Amino acid sequence: MGEQELFWVMSPVIVLASLTLLFARKAVYVLAGMIVVMIGLAVFYVTLEAPFLGMIQVIVYTGAIMMLILFVLMLVGVDQKESLRETIRGQRWIALAAATGLVVLIVTTVYRIELPIRDIGGMNDGGNPQVIANALFGEWVLVMEILGLVLISAAVSAIVLTHLPRSGDRRSQAERAEERVRARLNPVNKPMPGVYARRNALDVPAIDPEGKPVPASISRVLKARKQDKDGSEWRAIGKDEAAE
Amino acid sequence: MVNIVNALVSPTPSPSVTPPEGFVPWEQTLRGDSLLLVAIKAVAILVFLLLSVLFAVWFERKVISRMQERIGPNIHGPFGLFQLVGDALKLLLKEDVSVTKRDRVLYIAAPLISVICAFLVFSVIPIGPAVRIPFTEDVTPLQLTDFPVAALFILACAAVGVYGIVLGGWASGSTYPLVGAVRSSAQIISYELAMGLSLVTVFMMSSSMYTQDIVAAQADLWFGVLLLPAFLLYIVAMVGETNRLPFDLPEAEGELVAGYMTEYSSIKFAWYFLAEYINMLNVSAVATTLFLGGWRAPWPLSAVSDGVLNTGYWPVLWFLAKVWLLMFFFVWVRGSLMRLRYDQFMRLGWKLLIPIGLGWVVLWGVARVLYVKDWLPSVKQVTVPAAIVLGLATVVVLFWPSKPGEEKTGRGRVKEIDATAGGFPVPPKPGEKLPPSPRSTRTVDARSQAKEKGDRDKG
Amino acid sequence: MTFESPIIEWAPLAPVLIVFAAAVLGIVIETADPKVWIRRRLQVALALVATLAAAATAALQWSVLDGDGTRVVVDRIICDRHSLIWMVMIAVFAALAILLFSSRVGGDDAFAPLAAAAPGSEEEREASEKGLAQTEVFPLALFSVGGMMLFTMVSDTLILFIVLELISLPLYVLVALSRRRRLLSQEAALKYFLMGAFASAVYLFGAALIYGGAFSTSFTIIDTAIVQYHGREALVLVGTVLALVGLLFKLGAVPFHAWTPDAYQGAPTPVTAFMAAATKAAAVAALIRFLYLAVHRFEWEIAPVLWTIAIATMLVGTVAAIVQTDIKRMLAYSSIAHGGFVLVAVTSFEREALSAAVFYMLAYGLATLGAFAVVGQVREVTKDGSLGAEATRLGQWAGLGRRSPWMATAMAVFLLSFAGIPLTAGFIGKYVAFKAAFDSGGWPLVVVAVLAAVVAVFFYVRVIVLMFLTPVPEDLKDAVEVTESTGPSLVVGITALATVLLGVVPSVVLDLASNAAILVP
Repeated sequence: MGEQELFWVMSPVIVLASLTLLFARKAVYVLAGMIVVMIGLAVFYVTLEAPFLGMIQVIVYTGAIMMLILFVLMLVGVDQKESLRETIRGQRWIALAAATGLVVLIVTTVYRIELPIRDIGGMNDGGNPQVIANALFGEWVLVMEILGLVLISAAVSAIVLTHLPRSGDRRSQAERAEERVRARLNPVNKPMPGVYARRNALDVPAIDPEGKPVPASISRVLKARKQDKDGSEWRAIGKDEAAE
Repeated sequence: MVNIVNALVSPTPSPSVTPPEGFVPWEQTLRGDSLLLVAIKAVAILVFLLLSVLFAVWFERKVISRMQERIGPNIHGPFGLFQLVGDALKLLLKEDVSVTKRDRVLYIAAPLISVICAFLVFSVIPIGPAVRIPFTEDVTPLQLTDFPVAALFILACAAVGVYGIVLGGWASGSTYPLVGAVRSSAQIISYELAMGLSLVTVFMMSSSMYTQDIVAAQADLWFGVLLLPAFLLYIVAMVGETNRLPFDLPEAEGELVAGYMTEYSSIKFAWYFLAEYINMLNVSAVATTLFLGGWRAPWPLSAVSDGVLNTGYWPVLWFLAKVWLLMFFFVWVRGSLMRLRYDQFMRLGWKLLIPIGLGWVVLWGVARVLYVKDWLPSVKQVTVPAAIVLGLATVVVLFWPSKPGEEKTGRGRVKEIDATAGGFPVPPKPGEKLPPSPRSTRTVDARSQAKEKGDRDKG
Repeated sequence: MTFESPIIEWAPLAPVLIVFAAAVLGIVIETADPKVWIRRRLQVALALVATLAAAATAALQWSVLDGDGTRVVVDRIICDRHSLIWMVMIAVFAALAILLFSSRVGGDDAFAPLAAAAPGSEEEREASEKGLAQTEVFPLALFSVGGMMLFTMVSDTLILFIVLELISLPLYVLVALSRRRRLLSQEAALKYFLMGAFASAVYLFGAALIYGGAFSTSFTIIDTAIVQYHGREALVLVGTVLALVGLLFKLGAVPFHAWTPDAYQGAPTPVTAFMAAATKAAAVAALIRFLYLAVHRFEWEIAPVLWTIAIATMLVGTVAAIVQTDIKRMLAYSSIAHGGFVLVAVTSFEREALSAAVFYMLAYGLATLGAFAVVGQVREVTKDGSLGAEATRLGQWAGLGRRSPWMATAMAVFLLSFAGIPLTAGFIGKYVAFKAAFDSGGWPLVVVAVLAAVVAVFFYVRVIVLMFLTPVPEDLKDAVEVTESTGPSLVVGITALATVLLGVVPSVVLDLASNAAILVP
């Protein structure tokens, strides 16, 4: 039922997308390619009468795993390009030769094989998800339980490697605000630039109650670029000056 | 062990559905759909969604205005309805500004991904039962398609839709969008877990993931009542999933300008906008289908003359009513609640919603085994009270006041300070309090009190 | 649709279940988060009791077993005498390793107090001062042990893959948890993880191809499918080669050995001991089951591959070990070479090989555990006089016989056993292994193996000479100290005694091993 046609449409898409893994420079493009591959596989599964597998493929691989990888990439710097310097000389050629050998081996083998057409009609009798449930919790129930153990150990491992217990007591927002007030720090935010000054541009410091400029009100970046003003010329006119 | 499994996968003995006269099994009728019919259905859904979004914008503005004691749009057209035409045109005709550091391909692809995934969900939502198409003999369900894992398809679309947000945030080549995108991916993944867990018991009860089956299984009792905790869980998760207040952290204005869509303008922004509103409609429609009986008429109406209101084109009305009731809920929540802090939000998701979801699945599984094994007199006699008790417990937990506020500042006396002593107004320190405002005499309340006092003094 | 209850014989799984139950209980204890000292004692006791109980249960099952074995799940998990003897061995190795895990030198165990803290950071110092301990290592190790024991029973490519992951995941993390030289440890873990993941993927690829050819994942059915389905056996053959990669990776056979030296050197020494002894035993057990039950009809096709790998493994392991200056790295390469020696027996596809492999891995595992236990006791002394990291440079071992005659003698016994000198277990092991290969006509392989063994004697003896005949260098007099903590001393004592006993009176164990030379399909 359109299976073959769909195959010939989807497979070039998948192959092209998977080529990004080899040739794309940006990590995000590689991931985007992977996502296309995953969704393409899901489409194949659905056309091959395995809709449950197809949906799980999208939800778990595309939705969760690839997303987490993207998430990590974003946190560690998505713009980093890989260093192409080889630490071991010639390993690229060795790898290429080995890969070619493997490809030749597999292609020649698979080419010679003639797989019989298996009749899988009736395999989904009772509903595809139900059949899978029966298999997972029937014949393969022990494997599911082992998988449970794998997941426990994976979760615990991840926690061991990443969880830093909080040292010291956890303080609430209110307590921290109170502490700041007691220590005579800024009770709320630092003043915005230009507060009480005559201009409110970003490079103009705020003026404190005594009429002095507040350096902390200007962004550190501007200071580093030496683009800040000292603020004296923008000071609000005091009563004395106004009287003159 | 084995018995439990047996009970979980065997077909449901309970709710029995008696098909009305002349009922044709919907799946077969779907198979009979001609290509033309499929195309017409698809276009109809598209048009319906686009119009609904336009209406939703007006609806939201109007309702939220009323909640804030304003009037809202009222100039153009009746009830200000034409305002939305102006809104839409403005959105499309605005100048398209984009950043130079953007990633050309993904910058444009990202909003498209969002929109496409949003549109896809409605293809499996049953808007009505099998109906006869006017002027023809063809009978077809009011639904584009349905398949054995249709309910999972909805989750899959949501999962892929996140990429629109994440890639858009990254492709903008700017900090706020990136942070917004990272936040959003974490948020949606977290709340998708809770959402998935809330759906498990629905599948258990309907023994199917066909959306029409799920609607049919609710003929006697809506799952929203029977599986109340799951329903509540879904309601919370759906708000988190659509990035709406109080969970709109990816675009928290005060922190992130507009989150992942900061650098988008004009029509590309419109795509995101469209996706967000369609997603609201989607989750509402899913909640309707899975928990609120889908297109079936609500109880007193469903009893009218042997369920005539559940046939023909009537169900479309019930479906739309339920969806818009949920849309109203969205607006109501937005009008009532404040945005959560990010850590509070994540804690709610991981430490409350997911454990509750897991616990509920286990509890329901056990209850169902007991029922199927006939160790219980009736599923309703035991599980309904259990559901109610659990639902109440959930509500209590949700609304339990976090640690009673200890008076840390109060050391017995509260000093009144002169707020403007140094010439500048200063806020009170801990243990201090402001004197009553001099303006307090100017309010209506104060004046009437003063008048009463004066009257008494006179008298 | 009705649900058909699976038929599972739970009783033979008892040893594995004990270990898994203890592991899960250990996690529950961790979540309850009691005080460190309580937690530590509970975990150690639990792990020790569990592993010993598992060994005892497996031994008991051996003694009451009627016939050759039980099918736990028909065609998928089979508990026979062969798997029982491996299970006992792995459980005993695990118990000894747990003793090493729990040992403390100067109040510090071998594991980082807080693995999540960055090396050299303030948090790490604080955690160390507070006396925190990452007691999750015990349940994690138990998960791995349980997996290894299950590994010996699996005869299904899919279950094999999942159990392989169960074994590997905790190991990847344990490798990263060294208290000292943490960056090295983390680097080792990352290498091990990446290569392990890659090997798993290759294995999975192979298993998929096998399934494509045989339409089954069960060893028994694959075996018959090879004969029945003409025209598709090539697919099974390619799949077999790829699947072997995954198994040989765990064994550390050349060219899949690259992780071994780094991981062995970087890991906390107790973990190294555990990996070297138990993981290798489990890998051999699974390899035998896969080769002998599933694909033995491909003997002619696979044997050249295995021969090449065995020869390469022995040669690379031996030659590379000669030039090492670090004792842990040297032992790592020696373990690679030993993997090659055991492959010599395995490649013969003879019944004798089953008992030979069992005996060889027993002899090797005991000596390895003991040797790494000694390595863990030789410590550097820091400038302020406290005990520091392990002194693994070979130069620091000079004159060890003077510092601690007892430890040095035990170490000499282990090294002699590695070298295969008569009157040690290693000699008998090598003898039975080579004999199995020789009897099946693999004499060229045996010649290479004997040559490699002779060369290997050189670097083992060099360490002995260093320990006993070289005086302590002046500048290292106070820089190295041998601590003799209870746990490791116990392990050293037990393993040394066993090594000698197995060398002098091997007949008891040899009989048991030959009884176990039966695989139930």
